[in-house]
Amino acid sequence: MLVAIAERLDAWVVERNLEARAEGMLTHPPCTIHLLGQTALLELGVPLRLAVTNDVDVHANYGAAIEAELRRLLKQAGKELDPLGEEVWMPRETRYQRLYAGEFVTLKVADADAVLISKALKAPRKNRALIVEYLARGATPRFMQLAHKYRVDLEAFL
Amino acid sequence: MMDAAELQRRAKRRVAQLDRRRRDPRYQRVLGRLVGLGLLTTNESVPQTREPIDVADALWAAEVEPRIAELLPALLVRRPALFAATDALPDDLAQAVAALRRNEVPAEFRGVPGVNLHRWLTSVGRKSEPPSRLKAFRLQASDIALLTRLREELGITETAVLRRGLRALASATWLREQS
Repeated sequence: MLVAIAERLDAWVVERNLEARAEGMLTHPPCTIHLLGQTALLELGVPLRLAVTNDVDVHANYGAAIEAELRRLLKQAGKELDPLGEEVWMPRETRYQRLYAGEFVTLKVADADAVLISKALKAPRKNRALIVEYLARGATPRFMQLAHKYRVDLEAFL
Repeated sequence: MMDAAELQRRAKRRVAQLDRRRRDPRYQRVLGRLVGLGLLTTNESVPQTREPIDVADALWAAEVEPRIAELLPALLVRRPALFAATDALPDDLAQAVAALRRNEVPAEFRGVPGVNLHRWLTSVGRKSEPPSRLKAFRLQASDIALLTRLREELGITETAVLRRGLRALASATWLREQS
């Protein structure tokens, strides 16, 4: 679903930029949207049981007009752009996988290990079941390294 | 410190407990209703229901999925008809609901920070506006006549007349302060 929204957003930016060029106005520069949180896990199709609220967390380098359009497109799809999304902490080691690359809009999704470390560190109570399920499936060595580096007490989840 | 194998073994035991709770009809009913309303999305199939939500069931289910606790107070304010009964709420939930009714950020509720409870106030209702509060004033007959005339001429409600008037006054005052 997020890819379809990114496509529509890119088409909107293309159109606005054509208009702006014709009128001699400034155009929107290309932007990258990094998808985080539960929505990222859902988009990645991780084999964990997820219950996701309608808010979408992103880090992005777009301007206010593109943000407003993204907000509108998400609302049409019953989703909401989290106003505090920019405050979401992600480890420096986060890897982003490209989901969509348009002319002006690129959509990337954070890797599952990084999202889960962020959740375990910043909202352990809310994400307890998720982390326990992940540990039961066998955490990756990378997740264990990140947990060690960021001092996530995994035993506390059990 | 526990090694990875021991961590996994203990996690599997916890998952078995969680699975039992997730199969419980209380969890299934609450989750099914919230998914049906489009307030939660899951990646597993949940039997959807249109039955009213029992608050006690919702609180029980919230222990398994805390996102239910995050939505619950705002839903009680904005969509009370979704619930079987909203009178005898537990104290902490009643306090969170009362704060949201005043459009205030409540105290933490079952591990969910108040700010996370408040943010759903505008998005779980049918209208994306915060709840309004009743405020009574004693007006002179001439004020009421003026209010009625403005209502008729502008084709809006009396509340809307008052809202517009307040904003116009605030903006005029602000302009005076700036000059």
